[in-house]
Amino acid sequence: MNQVVHCVTADPGVAAFARASLTGLRVRSYPSAGRFLKSWRGDGLAVIDAGLPDMSGRDLVAVLRGAPRTAGSLLVLTGGGQYSPAAAAVCFDNGADEYFPFPPDPALFRARVLNLLGRGGRRAAAEKPAEYAFGALRVSPEARTARVGGSALKLTALEFDLLLYFLRNQGRLVSRSMLLEQVWRQDSSAGARAVDKRIEALRRRLGRSFGSKLRTVFGLGYIFKL
Amino acid sequence: MKPRPKVLVVDDEPDYLRIAARIAAKAGCAVVTAPTALEGVALASAEKPDMILLDVGLPDISGFEAARRIRRTPALAGVPIIFFTVRSEVDMVSEGLKLGAAGYVLKPFDPDELLRRIKAAVFPA
Repeated sequence: MNQVVHCVTADPGVAAFARASLTGLRVRSYPSAGRFLKSWRGDGLAVIDAGLPDMSGRDLVAVLRGAPRTAGSLLVLTGGGQYSPAAAAVCFDNGADEYFPFPPDPALFRARVLNLLGRGGRRAAAEKPAEYAFGALRVSPEARTARVGGSALKLTALEFDLLLYFLRNQGRLVSRSMLLEQVWRQDSSAGARAVDKRIEALRRRLGRSFGSKLRTVFGLGYIFKL
Repeated sequence: MKPRPKVLVVDDEPDYLRIAARIAAKAGCAVVTAPTALEGVALASAEKPDMILLDVGLPDISGFEAARRIRRTPALAGVPIIFFTVRSEVDMVSEGLKLGAAGYVLKPFDPDELLRRIKAAVFPA
């Protein structure tokens, strides 16, 4: 085996874990996103710590996935606090091939890295989650359907786009202007008031348990946290 | 009493200017703001902030060029700068980090993450 695993982390514990569990592979470490971007050519597999000193690992994965030179690379995210299905789904949606809370089980981590590298060192295909599942809330981006506890939600096209945008940006504070730009897009006649009305409608349709996760941050925008 | 650290926020988008300013204030900082890069450069020189939150896609000159100009002032040569932007091309991120940025944050951002980064920059351990 002569494949390279690039480990991007400022945490010596994460780097040591990668070296110890990936014996037989060449493991190179980078202490920051900046140092990694400077040297990496898109080869091998990159294990990226969610909490880098200069950038979040989730943002770094999204950036790499968006660039032609690195779009097909194998990217594994680790860290980022306690595991939750919601956190994992967001990592996958940002483009991670795998996600492990830290520390992962060493044998499982090694097996998964070898399995990914065994595909020939490139990503199999552009994969997005077929369905987001957060407890009783299930959202299928392709079929454009959303269900809570088995009952289909009746959403307009715009409300569905809004829900998807919030799911993909969980935990991020989204301003009204950002929503107008990213979700309403061409419809420039809409204003902040239209956003508020539509969010209110989306909350109602999501029901009490999920609607309450879509919080207003007074004077700033909205945040969706599951 | 030690004066509060001062943060300069530069963004042409009023919503994000307000959001970033609010988070910097929550971090315990005094905040000054500018809606354009050139005003930001001038304000940096006048106010000598302890850190700068700088949008990359500004209408007059880019945030990167603003950072270069700010850093030419000897008193600001080492000021921590966090770039924030909606655009996420890998070359842009590399350029920003090569400029010695303390951080690079994509919009929309996690307010807790930005808060942590501001605190790490103005109150280093």
